[in-house]
Amino acid sequence: MDFEIRDTPEVAAFRKEVREWLDANVSEDLLVHSPDPADYSDEQYRKRRELGRKLGAKGWLYPTYPKEYGGGGLPLDLAVVTAEEMEARFLESPPHYDHSNMPAASILIWGTEEQRRTLLPQLLRGEFVTWMLLTEPQGGTDLANVQTRAIRDGDDYIVNGTKTLVGSDRAPDLLWSIVLTDPGGPRHENVSWLLIPADLPGITIHPLPLLTNTSGVRIGSMPFKHKNSVYFDDVRVPAEWRIGEENKGWKVGGTTLELEHGGAGNIRHNRLLEWVFEYCGTTQLGGQPLIEDSDVRDVLADLYIDSELQRLFGLRSYWMAHAKQKQSYEGVLSSLHRRNASERLAFGLQKILGNAALVQDKELAPLSGYVNLVERAFFVSIHAGGSRNINKVNIARRLGIGRGYVEEAAPLPD
Amino acid sequence: MDLSLNERQQLLRDAAAAFIKSEASREVIAEMDSANESFNAGHWKKAAGLGFLGMAVPSPYGGEGATLMDTAVVFEELGRAPLPGPYFSSGVFAAQLILEGGSEEQKRTVLPEVCRGARIVVPAITDWPVRWGPEAVEVTARPKNGSLVLEGSKPYVMDAAVADQLLCAVRTGAASSNRAEGISLVLVDKGTPGVSIRPLAGLWTGVAEVKFESAEISAERLVGSENRGWNVVDQSALRVLPVLTAYMAGGIERLGSMALSYSQTRVVFGQPIGRFQRVQDHIIQIYLHLDAARWTTYHAIWKLENDRPANSSVHLAKVVASEGYHEAADLAAEVYAGVGIAMGVGTVPHVRMSRAHYETLGNPLYHKRRMMAALQEEDWPGESVRAQLAKLNAGRETLRASR
Repeated sequence: MDFEIRDTPEVAAFRKEVREWLDANVSEDLLVHSPDPADYSDEQYRKRRELGRKLGAKGWLYPTYPKEYGGGGLPLDLAVVTAEEMEARFLESPPHYDHSNMPAASILIWGTEEQRRTLLPQLLRGEFVTWMLLTEPQGGTDLANVQTRAIRDGDDYIVNGTKTLVGSDRAPDLLWSIVLTDPGGPRHENVSWLLIPADLPGITIHPLPLLTNTSGVRIGSMPFKHKNSVYFDDVRVPAEWRIGEENKGWKVGGTTLELEHGGAGNIRHNRLLEWVFEYCGTTQLGGQPLIEDSDVRDVLADLYIDSELQRLFGLRSYWMAHAKQKQSYEGVLSSLHRRNASERLAFGLQKILGNAALVQDKELAPLSGYVNLVERAFFVSIHAGGSRNINKVNIARRLGIGRGYVEEAAPLPD
Repeated sequence: MDLSLNERQQLLRDAAAAFIKSEASREVIAEMDSANESFNAGHWKKAAGLGFLGMAVPSPYGGEGATLMDTAVVFEELGRAPLPGPYFSSGVFAAQLILEGGSEEQKRTVLPEVCRGARIVVPAITDWPVRWGPEAVEVTARPKNGSLVLEGSKPYVMDAAVADQLLCAVRTGAASSNRAEGISLVLVDKGTPGVSIRPLAGLWTGVAEVKFESAEISAERLVGSENRGWNVVDQSALRVLPVLTAYMAGGIERLGSMALSYSQTRVVFGQPIGRFQRVQDHIIQIYLHLDAARWTTYHAIWKLENDRPANSSVHLAKVVASEGYHEAADLAAEVYAGVGIAMGVGTVPHVRMSRAHYETLGNPLYHKRRMMAALQEEDWPGESVRAQLAKLNAGRETLRASR
């Protein structure tokens, strides 16, 4: 058993190549790191988009995807190296809000060969920004009950309806949407997926500000000013943008949901907690560092345990997903734990830092206000990307609790 | 990166699982539990034959020379039963204490017998009901004509009643402000005059009170350097804790699979009880604890086997396994309801074992404190984070100055 990549000569050479490229293309000042959306100018966004495209051209946004479609075609050991080196520079993949990985995985598994040849390369190269459109005003958790209609008319679908709590404060190129293609049909056999170009006539996007507008708090992610509602008013979408068979969207959607629920895993550390530990080690209150207070140490101990579990669960799923191991409940369990841990983190930080945790002031707030972001982000994190309760439903089904059979995880690209 | 068990480990796991299935099934363990038996000589002999005792002892001293991971894989299976007896105390912990602290002669005479199962050596370390640490060692050992005279008591020694010898931590040094100094390890034969072993009844089975009333032993029974015994205890514990946490993870796994299958077959309100979300929540929580215990155990072992600073991970694994096993037993018992505390069902042995091992080699409060100290020693999170924070603070100062 080995928790680390052994740097064989081949891996070491590749790591050197990745580092050199990142040193040349990601200068220390290139990326702004701030929890305040107001600190990100249009210029900063443009730079992040450009960097995303450059990473895409190297195949490093989707390192394990087939080279023939624009991916990196890399084996696990080398893919991990790209992930590690980017992670070390607080560089997300891509470095801006984007859910292109969802349609990309779905096209790879469920799309036609034509779609793989025409759509995939642009997605894998980071040329498009995709928003994922699932939730509607009347519900998100009961995803099978979507009401946005896409009715066939010749070679097109006519789309009508509303999606909400989606996107970021920058314009999308594509909208990855689950829609109702057979309104009279049976549940789970009446939905389909459309990859809708966002500039089609009839699409309106309205900003929707929430308490916080980012679900994860990662140093390096761009926070944004608002989410959105998207209105479809007789939008004509060519049928070639449908991915997977008509009315088979519930099966196709399994891939999207598996990814959303943590199936792909990750190799991330909890950088914020590392910063909190260091902060507590160097910040004094009443003449002693915070970390010397036994109450603070007790809280930090529990937060550290949570973060180690999160890291190990993410790593386990990453390995299983990329080493072709059949997964069951592991990805979903890691998603559940992540949300539970984020709840304890938010409360734990307030216990340690008190009022300082509640303000985002650039002078007074610890860690430039990231802590305040955590306090607010928790409320989004527990349900964004599938609620905790849905995680539990899925885990129960994957374990076969109360049933005579065990539900299988949906397929992911390997 | 490869998070699978290798072929040898899979074979060991299968061999241990087969042993438990044929010798120590749920029914057998439940019967032993009802009869208050915490040791079965037949199991012991078979386990010795399979090489499960003193696995990690190098082969010149009679062991298999197995890795820590090999040992953990076997112990996870034993913990599933849960197999009661000195498998860990003698076969793992005592063996490690002697390996760490014993003389060459002691290693050559004692270890082979421990590995064959011919000699059961049980560590008897602390004297207090709670709080693991050198301050909890109070039994004195005073020199007298080439002997040591032991005085005091160790009220809660697991497996003491079946020991051939007790490996005891005793105070040989003068009183000093540093309680970690002045402790020695000595081997005490069962039946030594003045040594009484009294099995205790209650929730915890297999535990006994050991009393020393002017008990005289030869000074040659010293294991390791005089007055440096606590260091041997601590170093050995850090090495063997992940084997214990693997055993506990096995217990969590059994509780999870029992609750799972019960959820599928127990019908109440006209449906299998697993259809109720409250029951699902209990079982999901058990599996969270299982994966947490297993993976923190594997990670700690990987660090130990690869010469990485491991202490913070070892302490963390003990916290996670202790809290996890303890809660898993509660949750499974609740899924089973009244049936869960019926003797003979199979949850009760895990209730007992989860409570006992919560304390073994230190409880979670102790290990959290040690974990935080270890993180400081390991300089976690380290230089790069320091540099990042310095940059952040510089930015803040600039802002302040500009106001």
